[in-house]
Amino acid sequence: MAVDAVKTKPAGRGLMGRQRLRWGLFFLAPWFIGFFAFQLLPIVFTFFLSFTDYNATKEFAPENFNFVGLNNYGRLFSDPELGNSLGVTLKFTLIAVPLGLIVPLMFALLVNSKHLFAPNVFRTLFFLPTVIPVVAGVLVFQGVLNPQSGWIDLLLKVFGIEGPRWLSDPTWAIPALNLLGLWGVGNAMLIYLGALQSVPTEIYEASVLDGANGIQRFINITIPMISPVIFYNVTLGVITSFQYFVAALLIGGRNGDPQGATLFYNLHFYRQAFVFNDMGYASVLALFLFAIVMVLTTFMFTFLQRGIYYASSDI
Amino acid sequence: MRLKKQLFPILAIMGLLLLTLLNACGDPTATSAPAATTAAPAATTAAVAATTTAVAATTTAVATTTTAAATTTPAATTTTAAAPAATTAAVPTVPTTFVAAGQGCANGSTKLTWYIGLGAGADADVIPKEKAWADNFNKSQTEACVAIQVVHNPESYDTLKAQIAAGNGPDIVGPVGKAGRASFQGAWADITPLAQAAGFDISKYDPALIDFTKDEGVLVGIPFALFPSMLFYNKALFDEAKLPYPPHKVGEQYQGKDWNLETFTALAQKLSVDSKGNDATDPNFDAKNIKQFGFFEGPTDSRGIATNFGGGLPYDPANPKAAKIPDNWRAAFNWYYNSVWKTHISPNDDYQNSDLLKKGSTFDSGNVAMQDSHTWYTCCFDMKKLNWDVAVLPTVNGKTTAKLHGDTFAILKQSKNQAVAFKVLSKMVVDKDLYQIYGGMPAIPGDRAGFFTALSARTGTNKIDWTVADEMLKYPDLPNHESYLPNIIKANDAFTKFRKLLDQTPGLNVDQEIDKLQATLDALFKAAT
Repeated sequence: MAVDAVKTKPAGRGLMGRQRLRWGLFFLAPWFIGFFAFQLLPIVFTFFLSFTDYNATKEFAPENFNFVGLNNYGRLFSDPELGNSLGVTLKFTLIAVPLGLIVPLMFALLVNSKHLFAPNVFRTLFFLPTVIPVVAGVLVFQGVLNPQSGWIDLLLKVFGIEGPRWLSDPTWAIPALNLLGLWGVGNAMLIYLGALQSVPTEIYEASVLDGANGIQRFINITIPMISPVIFYNVTLGVITSFQYFVAALLIGGRNGDPQGATLFYNLHFYRQAFVFNDMGYASVLALFLFAIVMVLTTFMFTFLQRGIYYASSDI
Repeated sequence: MRLKKQLFPILAIMGLLLLTLLNACGDPTATSAPAATTAAPAATTAAVAATTTAVAATTTAVATTTTAAATTTPAATTTTAAAPAATTAAVPTVPTTFVAAGQGCANGSTKLTWYIGLGAGADADVIPKEKAWADNFNKSQTEACVAIQVVHNPESYDTLKAQIAAGNGPDIVGPVGKAGRASFQGAWADITPLAQAAGFDISKYDPALIDFTKDEGVLVGIPFALFPSMLFYNKALFDEAKLPYPPHKVGEQYQGKDWNLETFTALAQKLSVDSKGNDATDPNFDAKNIKQFGFFEGPTDSRGIATNFGGGLPYDPANPKAAKIPDNWRAAFNWYYNSVWKTHISPNDDYQNSDLLKKGSTFDSGNVAMQDSHTWYTCCFDMKKLNWDVAVLPTVNGKTTAKLHGDTFAILKQSKNQAVAFKVLSKMVVDKDLYQIYGGMPAIPGDRAGFFTALSARTGTNKIDWTVADEMLKYPDLPNHESYLPNIIKANDAFTKFRKLLDQTPGLNVDQEIDKLQATLDALFKAAT
C-alpha cells in the first residue's frame, strides 16, 4: 500500500512563518527608513548634482539646477588643488596607518604583559584620551604643539634641541597631525588587547617547550593569531585616513595651512562645497572619493586577506 | 502575562528606533578620538544637515565595509570675517546656535527671523541684549514679530547656506559687512524699491555711504554702523618704556618727528622686547624669545594690510579680467613681512597662537603695545582692565589711510515678507541700543555723540579719546579693501592664504610671492562669469 506522501508546506510559508516575516520586516523598517532617508537618497542626489552647477547659496529647487553634462567631471583633470590634496592625504595615510598599527599593538602588548604593575591603571590612562571630543583634543594639541609656548618644544629646548614649528612649517604639519592621532590609540589598543587575550595559551606553552624565544613566539604565533584584527584595523585606518577632516580644518583652517600642507582631500571637497558654494563639482569630488576608497578596500580584501589566518574553517 | 508577551517587542522597537536615530545622527563614540585607526570615520559639519547630499557620498565606502554612520560634529573653523578671533580657532564660549522665538508679539503680526552671526553679535554677553531688543521691539508695534537666531560666527556661513538651500532662510541678516555679504552673492534683496514703497528717504544719507553699502551696484541695506580703523595702544607698556603716547590728531608730530611709517616703525621697535629686556633696536635682541611686541596688524586679510599703504584694486578697472597688484600694495606687503621677520615688531603666526598673546586675543594679552583694528574691536578685549587709548594711524608717503568697515542689515531675496522686513530694518539701522550692542559708529552723524558717551561708560577708568575715530573716518580706504572683485570668494580666499604665507614662512622672496599671487588672481578674474 502506497503511503501518500504528506505534502508539507515549505518552511516559513505557514501562518507562523508569515507572521515572523512581518515582525522581522517591522523591526528592520526603522533601519531601512534611516538608511534610505539619510544615506541612499543623499547619495542619489549627490550623483544628480554632479551633473549640475547648483550653487549652495540658492534654494534647493528645480529652477536652480542647470544641467552641465560632464563638465564637472572634466574639472577633475584640471583642478590644481586635487593633486595636492590627494598627495597630502596619501602622505598622511602612509604614516598614520603603520603608526596606528604598531603603537596600539605595542601598548596592548605592554598592558597584556604579566610583568606590568597595575595594568588596569595603564589601560585606563591609554584609553582616556579616546573619550575626549575631537574638537577639544585638537584645540589642546594646538597649544601643546605651539613652538613658543607648547610643552613639547619647551621640553626639547631643555635638551638644547630647537623644536620644529609643528603647525606652521609645511614639512612638519602632517607629522604633527600623526602625532595628534597617536593620542587617541586607546580604542585600537583595547581591540588588540582583546585579540591578544583570545590567543590560546596552550599554543604558547607548546612553543616554549619547542624552544621558541619571545620574538619567535611573537612573530610566529601572536601575529598570525591576531592577523584578522590587524587586517580590520588596517582597513579601517585606510578608510578613516581618506576621510580625515575635523582636525585638519581646526589646525589648518579652511585653506589647509601651512601653504596647503594640511589640505586633505575631504578639506578640499569641503572648500568646494561650503566655501566656494560649488556643489556640482563638490559632488563629483565626493563620488571620486567613494570610488577611490572602494578600489582600495576591494584591493585589500582581495589581496591582503590572503595573508590572514582565520581560526574558523568557514572563512 | 499578555503584557509580558507584548513588552519585549515594544522594548525592541524602542531600541531599534534609538539605533536608527544614532545611525542617522552619528555614533558618539566614533568621533571621540583623533586616532586614524579603529575609530569610525568622522565626516563633516553639523551645519550641512539640510544639504548632506555631497557629504553622505563620502561615507558610502564606509557603509560597505562597516556599520559606521555619517557622523556630524560642529567644526570650529578659523575665518577671516570681521570676528576678531580670525587668526586662530578660539575655543567657543557660546552655544553654536541660539534661537529665541519672538516675545510680546501682537496677534496676527508677521513672523520674521533675524539671523545674527555673519558679522558681530554672537558673543555670549551680547546675545541677551539682542533678545531683549527684539522683545522690546515686538511690544512696541503690531506689524512684525521678530525672532532671533544667533549662530556662532565660524558656523554661521554654513548654517545660513543650509537654510537657504532648504528654502527656510531668515528674513533679515545682520549686522553684516561687505566681506560677509560677498559669500552670498546674489542672495540679497534690492532695498531701493522696498524703500520707495515704504516712503523711506534714502537721500538723507551721505551718498558715499550709500555707494559703500552697494554690492555690484545694488543697494542691499541702509548704512547702519561704521567701523573706522585706528591704533589701539597699551598705555602701560608706553609708561614702562618711558615713551610718550602716539598722536591723536592727523598732522601732529611724535617726539619732534613726523608721525609717519618710519617714526612708527622705530617706535614699535623700541616697544618690542625680548625675555632679557632688550628691545628690537638692540644688537642682542633675541627674536626667538620675544615677550612683548610693538605692533600687531589686527584681524584682516592681506588686502586689509595692503590698504594701509593706500586704497587700490588688484586689477585695472578698465580691464577687470587682468590682475595687477598696485605698487603701493607691493610696498605694504614688503613692509609687513619685514615687520614680522626682520624688524620683529609684529608677531609671526606661532607667536600669534601662543599663550603669550592669548592664542589670538593679542591686544587683550597685554603684550602688544599697538594694534591696528577697527572700532568693533572694542568687543574683544577687557576695556576696563587694560590701560589703553586710541591714536591716529601714521602716514605712509605723506598720506593717511584708515581702512573702513561698514555694516548693515540685509534682507534675503528668498524672504516672503520683504516689505515688513524692510520696515523692521529701517528701525534697526537708527536704533541707539543696537549701536551700543555692536560698537559701531552710527552712520548718521547726529547720533554719534550719544554713541560714544554710552561706549565710554564701558571703559571703566579709561578716558578714551573717541575723536580719533571721527578723525580716522575722514581717511577711508578708497576703494575699500572689501570691495568687489571678480570671482570674489576665491579671490578673497587667495588674499587670506597670502597673509598666512607672510605670517608663517621665514626667508620668503616677497616680490616673487606677490607675482605668484597676481598670477593666481589673474586666473581667477579671467574665470569669473
